[in-house]
Amino acid sequence: MTQASVTETAVEPRSEATETPPPPPLRRKASKRRRRRQALWALVFLLPSAVPLVLFTITPMVSSAWVSLHEWNLISPMEWVGLDNYRNLLTDPQTGTVFLHTLMYVAGYLPLVYVGGLGLALLLNQKLKGRAFLRATYFLPVVTSWVVVALVWQWLLNPANGIVNEVLGTLGLPQPGWWTDPDWALPSVILASAWKDLGFVMVILLAGLQAIPSDYYEAARVDGASAWQRFYRITLPLLSPSTFFVVVISLINGFQVFDQVYVMTGGGPSGASQVVVGQIYDLTFRYGRAAEASALSWILFVVLLVVTVIQIRVQRKWVHYA
Amino acid sequence: MRSMTNGLRAIALAGAAALALGACTQGSATRQADSPDGEATVRYMNFSANDGHENDLKAIVDAFEKSNPNINVQVETVPFDDYFTKLQTAVAGGTAPDSFELNYENFVIYADNGSLAELTDVDSSAYKASLLDAFNHEGTQYGLPESFSNVVLFYNKTLFEEAGVEPPTDDWTWEDEQAAAKKLTDKDKGVWGDYQPFTFHEFYKTLAQAGGEFLNDDRTEAVFDSPEGVEAARFLVDKVGNTMPTEADGAGTPDFDTDLFKSGKLAMWHNGIWMFSQLEEVDFEWDVVVEPGGARKASAMFTNGLAVSAASENQDAAQKWISFLASSDKTAEVRLDTSWELPPVADETKLASYLDQPKPDNREAVFTSLDAAVLPPVIERQQEMQDVVTQELSDAAAGRKTVKQALADAQAAVNELLEK
Amino acid sequence: MPETRSRIARIAFYAAVILGAVIMLFPFLWTVITSITPDGSLSKGPTLFVEDPTLDAYRTLFDTLPMWRIVLNSLGVAIVSTALQLVTGSMAAYAFGRLHFPGKNIVFGAYLATLMVPLQVLVVPLFIEMRALQLQDTYFALLAPGIASAFGVFLLRQAVSAVPTELDEAAVLDGAGHLRIFATIVLPQIRPALATVAVFAFMYSWNNFLWPLVVIRSPELMTLPLGLSTLQGQFTTQWDVVMAGSVVSIVPIAMVYLLAQRHIIAGIAHTGIK
Repeated sequence: MTQASVTETAVEPRSEATETPPPPPLRRKASKRRRRRQALWALVFLLPSAVPLVLFTITPMVSSAWVSLHEWNLISPMEWVGLDNYRNLLTDPQTGTVFLHTLMYVAGYLPLVYVGGLGLALLLNQKLKGRAFLRATYFLPVVTSWVVVALVWQWLLNPANGIVNEVLGTLGLPQPGWWTDPDWALPSVILASAWKDLGFVMVILLAGLQAIPSDYYEAARVDGASAWQRFYRITLPLLSPSTFFVVVISLINGFQVFDQVYVMTGGGPSGASQVVVGQIYDLTFRYGRAAEASALSWILFVVLLVVTVIQIRVQRKWVHYA
Repeated sequence: MRSMTNGLRAIALAGAAALALGACTQGSATRQADSPDGEATVRYMNFSANDGHENDLKAIVDAFEKSNPNINVQVETVPFDDYFTKLQTAVAGGTAPDSFELNYENFVIYADNGSLAELTDVDSSAYKASLLDAFNHEGTQYGLPESFSNVVLFYNKTLFEEAGVEPPTDDWTWEDEQAAAKKLTDKDKGVWGDYQPFTFHEFYKTLAQAGGEFLNDDRTEAVFDSPEGVEAARFLVDKVGNTMPTEADGAGTPDFDTDLFKSGKLAMWHNGIWMFSQLEEVDFEWDVVVEPGGARKASAMFTNGLAVSAASENQDAAQKWISFLASSDKTAEVRLDTSWELPPVADETKLASYLDQPKPDNREAVFTSLDAAVLPPVIERQQEMQDVVTQELSDAAAGRKTVKQALADAQAAVNELLEK
Repeated sequence: MPETRSRIARIAFYAAVILGAVIMLFPFLWTVITSITPDGSLSKGPTLFVEDPTLDAYRTLFDTLPMWRIVLNSLGVAIVSTALQLVTGSMAAYAFGRLHFPGKNIVFGAYLATLMVPLQVLVVPLFIEMRALQLQDTYFALLAPGIASAFGVFLLRQAVSAVPTELDEAAVLDGAGHLRIFATIVLPQIRPALATVAVFAFMYSWNNFLWPLVVIRSPELMTLPLGLSTLQGQFTTQWDVVMAGSVVSIVPIAMVYLLAQRHIIAGIAHTGIK
């Protein structure tokens, strides 16, 4: 990754740092031999994580790719079918439907959870009474099991007597059928998911905020920068590595949304909230169509890979590393 | 941690891992084969002892081990919701237990693909013939019936009395049920007349009550989109919102109907006899009757079977154990004493003690229902069929489709499943 | 920023924060309340009042399940897995954030790719692999998928990249090697990120369900989510006991988070970033 400098958009904190920082001397001085030695060191630093990942994640991944070329219900012997599973999936309208639902989920979930989480992080990064308690409180939903959270949201969003509809009713607004209505089932799941994951985003952004040296802000204040300018010129750019992480991870996780759908709507009503991984789960463990499930997850893999590569490409334009 | 030293071995064997997948689908089932002194360990995996009957199963195991000192039974109990995930993975990985429980719907799939060992010298006189037959697949006995239970009509006597409506009898028809449900429903008070889920299991049964068939005779085609089918689906769907709470009222959320009945706000309730023990402490009078019929009487039957893994190295010992678990007097005694599911024994005098227990008064209805018991239709892609039928019925119940449309769509979908 | 606001605004601000906190706290409160309600049921909706609070559900929980053993198993696996992930993750993060080597982007991409295939299709091949290695039904099997995680590597890499390189340069002039720069300069600076990874690694292991379900069959190795799942019956569920189980499973992670937070703050004070 490029070691980009703090760019022009950031308010320069100290006068002595106003010249463009020199390129890291490590690289400047790197001779061929040095480079080779550094690559060797990289190997040493990577092995402890690479070995278990290869053994316990990549090997099963390769196996599942192999499985996807067969017909297999887990209990009978496998039978080679080549690319049939892929062909069937790509021509099955259900595949398009579950991808569409997943995309809709991500599109609704990501902005909600990022903006909400950023707001919370900014709020709880300030000196407040009971700050530690408040942070723990906002983190509680993250650790609460989806079974419990789903029960609560089914109750909050109960079409007949839930609090949400009662409030909407008194305001004279329409009262949707939420998870019992095919049009509202996905929004219900999005709402509950964003609520649950706010704390997750908050924790990561808080760590990012705390890593921003406070003298940057002090210097900006001396320079007469407004609160908005400080946010826009210091906080956002210096938080961008954390933001990049949150966006990449939330997209990867969002595309694999499953638990909340499974417990809140079971993919219904009428299949209106069935998502890709829901389909994969049903195929594997309920319908005994393990090979098709593997094929479907490799289709998902390709989609995720493309999305992630694009993000890594685009990040150079907006992510600022120190 | 001996497993940590194994970690090194893991790394050494990593290269073999990718190949393992192909090689291991037909591995041996257990690590313990018969040891030299003739002792055998039989692993037994089940779901029905979960959440309340663990000790009852243990009592049966103890009795078995006492009379078969050479056989040691190792029980693994897994909740129903996760059971097939675990069993399938174990079969795929070649670590299937020597013996395991299968519900009737899943039995056919396992029997079909050679995962089950053929059982020989089965004492057929010990079992109710129809139940034993259910676990015979294409002429081979691959399983033994283990237990059964059925569905009856529960009713709140107190509500009936207060409303001045004659209580149900074993001879009731759909019209009687509908008329009573209408009189008993009082939405202002939150009292509902009836509750019957609109699911595959309810539908195949009401279809039989209407005199219809689900599959044709050679099981190659679905034929439930018939006048009888429409009648049966209407019977289920028309209740929703009229005499039965809707999804928006909370129907379908966990324990909704149980709590509704227990709190005395539900007059009639189609549910299984496994609910008896739950209702011991309610503060109103209740009883059960045979479910009302349409053109004829038909009762849903749920039955679990026991099977021996084809990959087991201890098949004889395993069969000995499942025979004991299925038909011994000890089992019958434990099952009846603890209101577990009923034992599949042929000799009905062994069931006498079941009738002696206090609530409900009309326990006879459980056995009367059996005279007209119907088993669910089973195809290779069972779960998909159940899901699609349930979904289409829900669409009809929510008014998203007409009953006719839903049935036509369901039948087309099931036929597609049969073709593949 | 609050210091620039008027008193009324500040009161409103606190009111909003507290209201938000109540909304976040609510499901947990409901869990606790249901767990101490006799014959707790759910259909009546949540209530904040309990007529005869009782600990019966907790008693039932500890009577029906070997809870101490289960909690110890879960704790042990979670702690070991967290420790391993911190070591493997921070080392990899140093390689990706500080070192130059050929194919770095591709290797990093491969790490990220391990997050892109859903667990649901990996458990069966992984189980078969474990069984081939005769490792199924062991503590090691429970731990194996949690030794390293690309999630942790990624999060830590972002943190390493944000650490100014000036300090390294000074150390290099002193003749320090990569191990020393890593251990004495980079690690202390990324403590907030380490604490964050610790929280998530612990949480992931603690809540993991599908993999233990498949790979464990000895009751002695049972972890908490497996134990709690046995409380839900095929036809009925004792919700008070289930909720008691939830409370037992939530409290330790909340504690881990509180601890980690103190670490974050301590870390900042030590490194003198502020």
